[in-house]
Amino acid sequence: MTDAPTEAPESIEETAGLLAGLDDGTRVRVRGGGAHMGIGHRFDPDLILSTARLDRIIAWEPDDLTVVVEAGVTVEELEEMLAGKGQTALLSEQPGPATVGGAVAAAISGWRRFRYGPLRDRVLEVTLVTSDGRVVTAGGRLVKNVTGYDIPRLAAGSFGSLGLIARVCLKLWPLPAACATVRVSSAEEALARTFRPLAVLETDRGAAVYLGGTPEEIAGQAAALDGTPVDGLDWPDLPEGKVRFSVRVPPSYLRSIIGRLQPGWRYAAQLGVGEVTVGADQVSTGKLQALREEAEAAGGALVVLEAPADLRRGFDPWGAPPPSLSIQRRLAALFDPGRKINPGVLPGGI
Amino acid sequence: MVTALITELREQMGDGQVLFDPLDLYVFGKDAGLTRGEPSLVVFPHSTEDVAAVMRAARRHGMPVIPRGSGTGLAGGAVATGPALLLVTTRMNRIEEVDPENRTAWVQPGVINLDLSVHTSPFGLYFAPDPSSQSACTVGGNVANNSGGLHCLAEGTTVNHVLAVEVVTPEGEVTVLGGAAPDPIGLDLRGVMVGSEGTLGIVTKVLVKLTPDPPAVRTLLMAFAELEQAAATVSGIIANGLVPGALEMMNQDMTIAVERFAKAGFPTDAGAVLIAEVTGHPSAVDAEAAIVRRIAENHQASLIHVAVEESERKRIWLGRKSAFGAVAQMNPDYYLHDTVVPRTKLVETVEKIDEVGQRHGLLMMNVFHAGDGNLHPLMSFDAAEPGALERVEAAGKDLIEVCVAMGGSLSGEHGIGLEKREFMPLVFNEADLDAQARLREAFDPEGCLNPDKILPEGARCFDFGRPPPVGAWV
Repeated sequence: MTDAPTEAPESIEETAGLLAGLDDGTRVRVRGGGAHMGIGHRFDPDLILSTARLDRIIAWEPDDLTVVVEAGVTVEELEEMLAGKGQTALLSEQPGPATVGGAVAAAISGWRRFRYGPLRDRVLEVTLVTSDGRVVTAGGRLVKNVTGYDIPRLAAGSFGSLGLIARVCLKLWPLPAACATVRVSSAEEALARTFRPLAVLETDRGAAVYLGGTPEEIAGQAAALDGTPVDGLDWPDLPEGKVRFSVRVPPSYLRSIIGRLQPGWRYAAQLGVGEVTVGADQVSTGKLQALREEAEAAGGALVVLEAPADLRRGFDPWGAPPPSLSIQRRLAALFDPGRKINPGVLPGGI
Repeated sequence: MVTALITELREQMGDGQVLFDPLDLYVFGKDAGLTRGEPSLVVFPHSTEDVAAVMRAARRHGMPVIPRGSGTGLAGGAVATGPALLLVTTRMNRIEEVDPENRTAWVQPGVINLDLSVHTSPFGLYFAPDPSSQSACTVGGNVANNSGGLHCLAEGTTVNHVLAVEVVTPEGEVTVLGGAAPDPIGLDLRGVMVGSEGTLGIVTKVLVKLTPDPPAVRTLLMAFAELEQAAATVSGIIANGLVPGALEMMNQDMTIAVERFAKAGFPTDAGAVLIAEVTGHPSAVDAEAAIVRRIAENHQASLIHVAVEESERKRIWLGRKSAFGAVAQMNPDYYLHDTVVPRTKLVETVEKIDEVGQRHGLLMMNVFHAGDGNLHPLMSFDAAEPGALERVEAAGKDLIEVCVAMGGSLSGEHGIGLEKREFMPLVFNEADLDAQARLREAFDPEGCLNPDKILPEGARCFDFGRPPPVGAWV
């Protein structure tokens, strides 16, 4: 699957022309930074379409709290630029090579989600290029807007099923004046004692509360934790391993899921959010299946983020498809009739 | 066809759940906007099963269905444009389950917004969207319009507070979109259902996210000689790393009207009044209020008052929320507009809006959610006066054009409905509108849900790069 040729168009128009020019049935894998390529069903692409050269910052209006960028801009580059004026798009704190387009396509929210909500809440406008070369823009460059259907939100986590995500407008937040990390012994207790921290995380190495706000707030919230605030946000490493997966459950089920993780697995759990990301080297499909069953019984899911081919055989990367699958299928088929982009990657093979 | 459908539904659901008397139809021919259109019959289901049965019957009889909550919508979203069954959700008003641990609740769509917060207050939780109509509007209506409110700057709009919806499809099937766990797998149909104005499915249950009551609140009432100073204060607050719970602004005419009506203590000699509210940890709010105060001082505020007592806070907000009632006292009719521009264009936009008012000889007052650039120009008039309604409509059109030229859009929180659909081509091109029509078609292939709303006629016409099918009329 690595021998497929790569194209890297330089503009949205060129991307549209390229897609429209491909024969029906051509399978195109879109590649941003490659950070989230392990998610979803596999397929053998005929062409790799890289967004690396769709890398322009189109507009940044700090006073309006909006930024418009092309898909290939990296998360790191964008956040670095925004931080220069004390702002953030609240994208992943450890993005690796991820691009903004990839983060939106895979709906990757950062650790600060507990305080600020998921990434999909901040996608204000999206420009999609469909398989037949249509360029479709929806939403608007406004922090509040109900004009037309909320396709930008739908694009978050769409993995290209509605078209290639070529350009997005994101809502920004000002960075708080001060930040601190407080180590705690009980994540649950810390969650109960603080009010809207940036995050409460528990990993296989301990738990911590992440605070942001005025210096007065940090001092006050840290005092309520009986802890010592250390300046700055000392985020944990992303759990690494041959197999990586995410378990998502209503927050009250998180403790039970953590309790079922195998010793030796690395994990990072987001309290109050209900997600635990796991990295492991020794995993059996039986163990994963049992975890998935518990997550699904609670109304959640176990999603594979990265796995070797042998584990993928006989273990669906998503699990039970959602009940609205027939509408989802119809939507993808009508919205992007050609479906050349990442065909079959979504749950249910959409 | 109507008579047969009425007979069938009365047999199925009972006489009291179906209205078809001309007077009833007249009453239900309108929402809180200006447009009017009477439905063919009005049905009041109690349950999801009722809704499914209604949908199946309507489909068999080829009758379009329009959902309606309390009818507080302002864009004609629940107004019939032809033969239609009006499905009113107000009797589906049960709060079915509150889960304080996960801070969620399953509610039926007819639950009144404020009733929900009252019900969950013993748990220290509330439903964050707070439109000014919150004592009358339904949660289902909030979902349909993705309603905002006074506190959506920091808290977000309805879509940020809806985790899942149970939906009855036009075919009468029941499905659930979304869920209580983060990032449900697959396409986020929940997200697109919110704000779809009843065109994609009938929402029969909502899993709302509840927000913990902030432990501390400080509300600041500020006044300025000029609108520019108030707007600069708003910019300064955000530039200082703060996103307050609310940032509300009123111009002088509006303040005078409100003060006469609500006696909230607003200074009527000021060019602009700004209300800011900071919420959060007790250690946070005083420091943040001090920052707001310092910035307001830097912009020559003539009044900075921090409400200490809860009663005082409530009076300030009651004043703000009475804006529309205050205007209703001045003239028999008013038209409340809703547009949105980039926040930095607020002052310039307001000046142009005032010019529009003058041009059409209308009293134009302004109240806005200053933090997010959402404007609510209010035109006060007497519909009995010949030509008044026409002038209001013409001014409304000019208003929209002004806002779009400023980089804005058609609606910040009231929706497109019937009233603004013809303006959609001002902000979307053919391909964009066609894509929206495709999305709608995926949910409602036969086009029987709330027809003629949101999208202009002929939106689904674009078939790029492909020849029309043989025999097609082009």
